[in-house]
Amino acid sequence: MSDATEVIRASGLAKRYPPRVDALADVSLVVHRGEFVAILGPSGAGKTTLFRCLTGLTRPDAGAVNVRGHEVSALRGRALRTARREVALIFQQFNLVRRLSALQNVLVGRLADAPTWRVLARRFSRADREHALRCLDTVGLREKADTRADQLSGGQQQRVAIARALAQDARVILADEPVASLDPESAATVLECLRTAVATGVAVVASLHQVPYACAYADRIVALRDGRVVRDVHAAGIDPRTLEHIYGKNGGPAA
Amino acid sequence: MKRVRFVLAVVLLAAFYAASWHLAKVEPGKLLTGLPKMAGWATKAWPPATDELPILLQRTAETIAMAAIGTTAAALLALPVCVLAARNVTPSMAVYYPARWFLNALRGVDSFVFALLFVAAVGLGPFAGVLGIALHTWGSTAKLWAEAIENIPPGPLEAAAATGASRVKVLAFALFPDVAPNMASVGLFWWEFNVRASTVLGVVGAGGIGQELKNSMDLLLFPRLLTIIVLILVTVTVIDQASAWLRRRLE
Repeated sequence: MSDATEVIRASGLAKRYPPRVDALADVSLVVHRGEFVAILGPSGAGKTTLFRCLTGLTRPDAGAVNVRGHEVSALRGRALRTARREVALIFQQFNLVRRLSALQNVLVGRLADAPTWRVLARRFSRADREHALRCLDTVGLREKADTRADQLSGGQQQRVAIARALAQDARVILADEPVASLDPESAATVLECLRTAVATGVAVVASLHQVPYACAYADRIVALRDGRVVRDVHAAGIDPRTLEHIYGKNGGPAA
Repeated sequence: MKRVRFVLAVVLLAAFYAASWHLAKVEPGKLLTGLPKMAGWATKAWPPATDELPILLQRTAETIAMAAIGTTAAALLALPVCVLAARNVTPSMAVYYPARWFLNALRGVDSFVFALLFVAAVGLGPFAGVLGIALHTWGSTAKLWAEAIENIPPGPLEAAAATGASRVKVLAFALFPDVAPNMASVGLFWWEFNVRASTVLGVVGAGGIGQELKNSMDLLLFPRLLTIIVLILVTVTVIDQASAWLRRRLE
């Protein structure tokens, strides 16, 4: 790695799903620790494929993904699992285990490190439970620790998912459309929580649909179109209108 | 064209039922002459015999115990296999298909037939019944459990696997809590079903109240037969209600 603060380096990523056009044509991206990068772009721009490549779920046809020294794009099996511990995922649909409490869902972030017998017996160590409680506290949901996941609102569920990512001690959080199914108020709270994570040194890469959110919460904005990076700019002081043209006339961002 | 197909279907269906009627040797006349005979037994059966109640109660308990042990053994055996036989969590399709075939084979043979074989292998008595119940229920339970697993949303499993946790941990912590109530409900259903099924296992010599039922019928001891039938009805009703109540509470 060329720079000690670099956590993700993706270079020359290409992915083609025949017979369709290229999902990714040529994408390069560098993310540093403590940085919040928003990925913008219309549907079909390659955002989801980019996320799948960054996590090793999809193997690029060309190019490489390096996450904290792990060559994710070349790993398989156990080595890939080890690399994944460094990266936490946030999903549009939250993906909590419905019948587990908020705290237990946060403990999912401790699964990889916990001994197997503890997981089978559902008896996590005191240190793990305290760590999980602190993570819930960070997202402002300590008092919901014992509430079942399916009893929480969408915004609360997404904050529990962020706590799960924090409990994992990941250095990178990849969030694919984290606020796309939330109301504006919940979306703002969730993005605040991601900002809090960034303040602790975690790097966040989030795909967002709305330009104003990206401008308000991200440090950098990377705009994709047709599988290519068309803008890579600092969010501070940017005029939202200069970004909106990347969506074109028809594919405007959902309001 | 449509009309021709319809006529053809009617003709085929009629032929099927005519053949079945013939093969099943249905003779309503025989039933009419037989009914008074059964009515005669019914009058002879009253009042039910109570002198042997203690032994009959013990046999009833034996039937419930056979069902309980057989179903529990089946559940323990089904637990690992249902994971292999669920499309979404199976380690590989090379394991999935053999697991499915194996379970279908177990399910295809009735516990009654298994019990018949085991009576020959391990001798008369309830243990043969337990083995018969265990094998058939193993296949049935594991198949239903596998279907319950296939119906859960994939997201939470994907999220847990993405933390880098091993497969066993993911299944135990992110899958099991989701399917546990459904699995318990299926297990209770099979216990209840097996209590009903095992009342007749005694007919092939596999212990329980069914054995007394067959003895009484063979010796034409109608008052004793009536007592046994009442005991079976009461037991099955109580178990059905208890199981239904427990399953409601799980939801």
